[in-house]
Amino acid sequence: MAGIAIEKLVKRYGTTQVVHGIDLTIEDGEFVVFVGPSGCGKSTTLRMIAGLEDINDGTISIGDRIVNRLEPKERNIAMVFQNYAIYPHMSVAENIAFGLYTAKLDKAQKRKRVEEVAEVLGLTPLLERRPSALSGGQRQRVAIGRAMVRDPAVFLFDEPLSNLDAQLRAQMRLEIKRLHQRLGTTIVFVTHDQVEAMTLADRIVVMRDGHILQVGAPMELYEKPADVFTARFIGSPTMNVVPAKATAEAGRSALQLGEAPIAWPAALPEDVLVGVRPQELRVLGQGEGADLVLSGTVAVVEPLGPETFVHVEAEGGLLLASASAKNPPAVGSAVRLGSPASALRLFDAKSERAL
Amino acid sequence: MTANIQVARSGGRLWQGLTLQQKQVVWAWGFLAVPILFYGLIRFYPTVEAFVISTTNWNLMNSPSFVGLANFKRLMADPVFWQVFRNTFLYLIIGTPFSLVLAFTIAYHLDRVRFMHGFIRALYFLPFLTTATAMAWVWRWFYQPVPIGLINDVISSLGFSQQPFLRSTTQALPAVLAPAIWAGLGFQVVIFLAGLRAIPTTYYEAARIDGVSDFAILRKITLPLLKPTIIFLVVFSSIGFLRIFDQVYNMTSGDPGGPLNATKPLVLMIYQTAFSSFDMGYAAAQTVVLFLVLLCVSLLQLRLLRDR
Repeated sequence: MAGIAIEKLVKRYGTTQVVHGIDLTIEDGEFVVFVGPSGCGKSTTLRMIAGLEDINDGTISIGDRIVNRLEPKERNIAMVFQNYAIYPHMSVAENIAFGLYTAKLDKAQKRKRVEEVAEVLGLTPLLERRPSALSGGQRQRVAIGRAMVRDPAVFLFDEPLSNLDAQLRAQMRLEIKRLHQRLGTTIVFVTHDQVEAMTLADRIVVMRDGHILQVGAPMELYEKPADVFTARFIGSPTMNVVPAKATAEAGRSALQLGEAPIAWPAALPEDVLVGVRPQELRVLGQGEGADLVLSGTVAVVEPLGPETFVHVEAEGGLLLASASAKNPPAVGSAVRLGSPASALRLFDAKSERAL
Repeated sequence: MTANIQVARSGGRLWQGLTLQQKQVVWAWGFLAVPILFYGLIRFYPTVEAFVISTTNWNLMNSPSFVGLANFKRLMADPVFWQVFRNTFLYLIIGTPFSLVLAFTIAYHLDRVRFMHGFIRALYFLPFLTTATAMAWVWRWFYQPVPIGLINDVISSLGFSQQPFLRSTTQALPAVLAPAIWAGLGFQVVIFLAGLRAIPTTYYEAARIDGVSDFAILRKITLPLLKPTIIFLVVFSSIGFLRIFDQVYNMTSGDPGGPLNATKPLVLMIYQTAFSSFDMGYAAAQTVVLFLVLLCVSLLQLRLLRDR
């Protein structure tokens, strides 16, 4: 078991820099998820931790050893790949045992380790099968088994659920989380799916263009996003972001948006972006009021069961709001949308950073 | 509506009566008919004819007379045939493993080379594009004695004695085999490279993380996953070596088959029997033997190498 420390980590391919000196400390036993759009450097960072990519600058330490120049096998890590990387010509048992290929154990001990791991992952009845006779979820479990069998200090997962269908993904997510609770090993998990990040992580690392934008617990990122990108990336459906003007009169700031100005306790720059989550922007009933009130025409209605989302053409563009599931507005009808001031998140229009 | 139905039916009542699947079958056989006719006439008919001729005595001038298995009995008693049989198998059992190991070694290392990869691959492939005759004559020149032959020039300048190569009963066969291996090497390298490229890199990365050595990766991952490629090349090159002809014919053209038939393969014997001695029945009997040998070797290899 070990933590990981990343300091000023840089990766270049030729003259293109893809990771720009990032810093991060991962505690022992922590479940950290790297999330971001493709090309943000999250997989590259993971592969540098694994030792599959050279490090151009900065250091990575696992435990208290700097591992920059160590071979992958000397780092005491295990990795699970997106395409599972299980060998088609070996049985499930042989695949899992391959993780012990270099271990100094006799045959019986290896067999015992494989059986223990298979037991944990529910693979015992499948041990003699070939991978071609397994479902996607079972293959992924074999890949996890091969990683587990060596009892590594750190698990690395590179988008392990991307090849699974939605239902199986939810199930494997649960299994991975329970596995972490049971083993308590440090896990670094890379995904582009914010739902995976939210549900699995102790801490989420949001990356974009080779920079870390924000690090924090899932709810911390959801409640207090540091910038527009994180705000829109975390949470589903995506947060509405509307441009607005701010005014200051007699030392009091006010937000000029919607039907009436909204008084704001802190000083604001002139141009701001106002973020409001669809769940907190509600279709108002007759005569109902709110701090922020916007009006528009319903374009699309999306019933989801417990709630219904409506896309509304408003002055700030297309907005997504929630309506009552029982009594949603009709397409084409005029509606008023309302949100409390406490639900608004303000960002500087120039820097896109939170205010 | 009525107009549309009229148009749809205009294809003819018989054709319209067929189900979709039957229509597909008709189209499929329509397209297959041309190559089937061609192969039937050009390949399969003469093959069957060879079996018939092998039971006759025929010199192209008279009409063939049926002699039963006499040609085969003569063949079994012919010492030249057994010498030729031995040569043919030497080509096979030296040529196939040697060329495949060589081709794999080159491909395995070339796969890791990024610098001038395409150019080096082209260099290996070039002999495959060259006519066997031209190649054979260049190699013939290599094997000449001093002062003409390149190899003997080098050997003697290093202070060793000259080698007879094509003039020796023991060295002639390997000397003919060398350019044959070289000529086929490019093809095998390219096929091996394609096979190596088809193995996902994550297999290797996973093995690296598990700390498996390069040799173990080769033995446990690369070779098993290359099995389909290896089977194809073993069968393909075995057939090639069993049918070896143009290299031998051109390198020993003064005395086809080398000193004391030291290099003569079965196909050359067939050629000589048919087109020098005009003993068609006897040549056909040899052809039948070659056919059976090729069949057995290919089936045996497919069986041994098949996935258990």
